[in-house]
Amino acid sequence: MGVIMRMRNWSLIALLLLLIWTAGGRWDSGITGATVAQAFQAPAESPLTLPNQDGSFKFAVLGDFGTGAQRQYQLADQMAAVQKRFKYELVVTVGDNLYGSQRPQDFQSKFEIPYKALLDAGVKFYASLGNHDAREQRYYKQFNMDGKLYYTFKPKSNVRFFALDSTYPEPEQIKWLDKELAASNDDWKIVFFHHPLYSSGDRHGSDLRLREAVEPLFVKYNVSVVLSGHDHFYERIKPQMGIAYFVVGSGGQLRVGNIDRSSGLTAKGFDTDLAFMAAEIVGDQMYFDAISRLGKTVDSGVITRRNIKP
Amino acid sequence: MTHQHNQTRFFGVSIGAFGLIAAAVLALSACGSDKPKAPPATSASPATAPPTERVVGPLSPADAQALATMTARLGEYVDLHTKIERSMPKLPKEATPAQIDKNQRALEKLVREARATAKPGDIFTPEARPVIERLLASVFGGPDGKQLRISIMDESQAPPSAAKLVVNSRYPDTVPLTTVPPQVLQTLPKLTEDLEYRFIGDSLILLDVHAHVVADFIEHAIPK
Repeated sequence: MGVIMRMRNWSLIALLLLLIWTAGGRWDSGITGATVAQAFQAPAESPLTLPNQDGSFKFAVLGDFGTGAQRQYQLADQMAAVQKRFKYELVVTVGDNLYGSQRPQDFQSKFEIPYKALLDAGVKFYASLGNHDAREQRYYKQFNMDGKLYYTFKPKSNVRFFALDSTYPEPEQIKWLDKELAASNDDWKIVFFHHPLYSSGDRHGSDLRLREAVEPLFVKYNVSVVLSGHDHFYERIKPQMGIAYFVVGSGGQLRVGNIDRSSGLTAKGFDTDLAFMAAEIVGDQMYFDAISRLGKTVDSGVITRRNIKP
Repeated sequence: MTHQHNQTRFFGVSIGAFGLIAAAVLALSACGSDKPKAPPATSASPATAPPTERVVGPLSPADAQALATMTARLGEYVDLHTKIERSMPKLPKEATPAQIDKNQRALEKLVREARATAKPGDIFTPEARPVIERLLASVFGGPDGKQLRISIMDESQAPPSAAKLVVNSRYPDTVPLTTVPPQVLQTLPKLTEDLEYRFIGDSLILLDVHAHVVADFIEHAIPK
């Protein structure tokens, strides 16, 4: 009996240590990533499930990242390591790009330094703004927002992205989105913004009012993929009305154990470490991997684009 | 999905009842003026407002009149802000953080000089303040209220005591920009793009976004 009790105690201690290690945040506070990241040893190359074909369109997704803490830097290192093997040309951000103060030095410590390797490699970031972001970020040249709170861009002949300002979904923006989606005849329409239409987040969850405003447009105009953040984890939502939804709010902040598994929405969830998403479009298919801070591929799959005739 | 269907039916049933209100709000927003308009009196609940509209309510005619004093002051503030901003060099669309900061601080200085005698209540007028507090009480007293409060406080990484609020001062750099839940934004009077609502602790801040200046605030706006 005593042995069993001791074993239980040791198990509890081990579990506790594991939880502290995965949470990690308490150890991060006050430490700038630049110094600590040097000590972090990213694991050897993790297996990617992506086709990695020549000439395909490759991109990454990152959200809720600008903390300046150690873990953000570690995930950034992982993103750079992946980019060496899988040459994604751009990163779309799903908001909360900078937490806390947003002075020039914060742009450095929370963005330019951690992602220096990517920026040096010519990877462009296209930002959307979250509820913690100052609106002046839209003028920041590295975010490629052209001074706009919502915008669209076409990085490849058959792919178009639409960035929204989901904090203020004013009628003018919805009208703009309607017009832009209607005018786009691109095979792939991908929308990204901060507040998720679908999320199993115990803290925030689905934004029903936003969903009511924009989902009919997504359905009507053949949007295939919707990328969001806000809840601090990675979640792939079961397809909703044929559309693939992802929550990728795991780029720097993390809310361990925050996915409500009883929501019925989750196709795959990961809420024990930071993660980003790498994706590749090959013809009518979009392949994706969600990759953790430690380099594990925690989710992968393939999406076929929507092609509903009006 | 069931929830969504229920909500859709709800909106389907209620659309006639709120059609006139929605039309009035749309008509106001279509006017194209930068100056916020006085909200119309309405008995509609914010929870039933169209998803992209901000509706102030429920309001009695007296409350609507009280809020109109605030929207008039907002208009004056926006006029001043716009005038000052137009006198300054325009920020390039591809700016460096240093350029953004320099521009912001220059605007901040001019706004502060232009409002040297500003004090609490200049925009959140004494007439409007109790209405705002009541509207917030209705949001935070609702079924989501506890969660909303947690959401705001949880993401405020600096203790409220870290910031002593002063009208017409720079928003404290050490205090994160907190969440302002959609339910709150839907309830409070609509602002132009130059301004936004934020919370520091339980105080409601009216933030001049471009100048990063606290234009006004209401202490203890979030009910306990």
